[in-house]
Amino acid sequence: MLKIKNLHATVAGKPILKGLSLAANAGEVHAIMGPNGAGKSTLAYVLGGRPGYEVTEGSATLEGRDLLAMAPDERAAAGLFLGFQYPVEIPGVSNVQFLRTALNAQRRARGEAEISAGDFLRLTREQADALGMSMDMMKRNVNVGFSGGEKKRNEMVQMGIIDPRLAVLDETDSGLDIDALRVVAEGINRIMRRPDKAVILITHYQRLLDLVVPDFVHVLAEGRIVRSGGPELAHQLEREGYAEVAA
Amino acid sequence: MSLLDFPSAKSEGWRWSDLSALPALAEAAQGAFDLQRLQLPWLDCSGPRLLFVNGSLNAPHSELGPLSIGPVATEASAHPLGRLVGREGWTLRLGPDGSAPGLIQIVHVSTGGADHLPAAIALAEDAQASIVETFVGEGWANRLTRIALGPHARLMLARRILSTGGFVSLTDRAALGEGASLVVTALAAGGSDTRFDGEIILNGEGGYAEAGGALLATDRGRHDANFVVRHAAPGGTSRQVWRSVADGRATCSVAARVEVARDAQKTDGEQSLKGLLLSRAATINAKPELEIFADDVKCAHGATVGALDQGALFYLASRGVPEAEAKALLTNAFVADAIDRIGEPQVRDAFGKDATSWLDGASPLAQAGEGL
Repeated sequence: MLKIKNLHATVAGKPILKGLSLAANAGEVHAIMGPNGAGKSTLAYVLGGRPGYEVTEGSATLEGRDLLAMAPDERAAAGLFLGFQYPVEIPGVSNVQFLRTALNAQRRARGEAEISAGDFLRLTREQADALGMSMDMMKRNVNVGFSGGEKKRNEMVQMGIIDPRLAVLDETDSGLDIDALRVVAEGINRIMRRPDKAVILITHYQRLLDLVVPDFVHVLAEGRIVRSGGPELAHQLEREGYAEVAA
Repeated sequence: MSLLDFPSAKSEGWRWSDLSALPALAEAAQGAFDLQRLQLPWLDCSGPRLLFVNGSLNAPHSELGPLSIGPVATEASAHPLGRLVGREGWTLRLGPDGSAPGLIQIVHVSTGGADHLPAAIALAEDAQASIVETFVGEGWANRLTRIALGPHARLMLARRILSTGGFVSLTDRAALGEGASLVVTALAAGGSDTRFDGEIILNGEGGYAEAGGALLATDRGRHDANFVVRHAAPGGTSRQVWRSVADGRATCSVAARVEVARDAQKTDGEQSLKGLLLSRAATINAKPELEIFADDVKCAHGATVGALDQGALFYLASRGVPEAEAKALLTNAFVADAIDRIGEPQVRDAFGKDATSWLDGASPLAQAGEGL
């Protein structure tokens, strides 16, 4: 599904990714762990196409399509969902309006019919319920006044409504207490643990991986994958630390 | 009429205005008025309707209700543009507890040249009225409106400037009695330049005044708003909420002033002036001013100017919203602060639609990235 080959990227002229390669097949969950400054968030933003993150070498394809040649909104329509570490607040735009605009834009881009207002509200209620978010919250402005945990749950509501093929989730566990972490993890499993979907889970800590058990764990250090293994690698990292394992 | 008749940019209240086009506009010939072809911008609701064409009432298309046409009882104005209005104009006078039947709509069509028109609104105790004035056409429409609100009277006055060219200048002079409420809202979403001048005096205790709106300008357009609210009695509240959007080489300027007299204790004043620049060559001026002589008041003011939030644009894009649509969504949200304050749903909806179509059409939002 996702193939990244020898990816090099710079931010403000500074090289951050230095030859990163990774392949994720449908049905797989890959965890990417690594110390601060390793390039984890940069990888997420480069895949999402954030302005200012410049690819200098290498390739990334989603189901055979060149991700790097597409605008950010085209990547979304192609099936990529980027879960933000710090979801953005948008005053004056309600969650419902935001999501309906996004969903219909994606449908138009794929040549599909727009969703009816009734179907959209049903879908939103269903996904919000599953993540413990009220419809009142969905009618409020995007992430404005939401706590850290509510913002992350809101990301999952968005993911559930958009129903992507590939989710790249950047530290979705940061800022969550144990209960919220469980709700978010259940969301990831319910929405994305499917044979036709894949997840790249970027995280610092083991605790999310106890709830969303990855098929593969990769260690990212200094802009490259330095080690890959099964779920047991995450436990080893927790015990021994990045310095030991990445060395 | 020559340029010498107008204030120059050297005088503080006019420093951001450009009146240089007015003499030529005033001299220009009036075009023909074809009512058959012109779609008049009436809102779909009941109530009195007045149609002015180049400053004269078009009786067949008007339904005066409680309004009257004739000499307007106003004292002379010293305002450089307000003093130009003649004597004949419209008057709305409501007695105690009076209310106008529905929304009063006034459409001003200008086909060229200059038309000057005075108006007076006098509401006695507990009377209430809602008025929306819409400007279309391409000449210079100049208005002076005197407003007197008795105790607990309520007036909503909304102005939509949809003129395709020319100049619209509106000068308001308002005095509010005890507990009276005045809400003045403006939307400039056409191709004409504008100048809004307002002076609102809260003479009675516990008065409420709101003055604000959305100024949308593109190309070399200029919108200029100058409002002062004078709190002369205790316990008054005032709000000034202006949102400016400038694209191309346009300029939007807002000077909003709150004056609190020594006796006007417990005054609650708030100003929020925000500007959004859609191109590098556009200009926004914001000048919030407070002058306070009382010692127990709450007055807040804020002014910000910036471009669209790049983080929000990327967030929208990451969810599949194309750049042009994302920019329009964020710009709409920015303007909504000022428009959502309008109490009457039909007027609020109309203003919202006008702003949206301005954003969809007049602005080069579709030329993604250009100038940003």
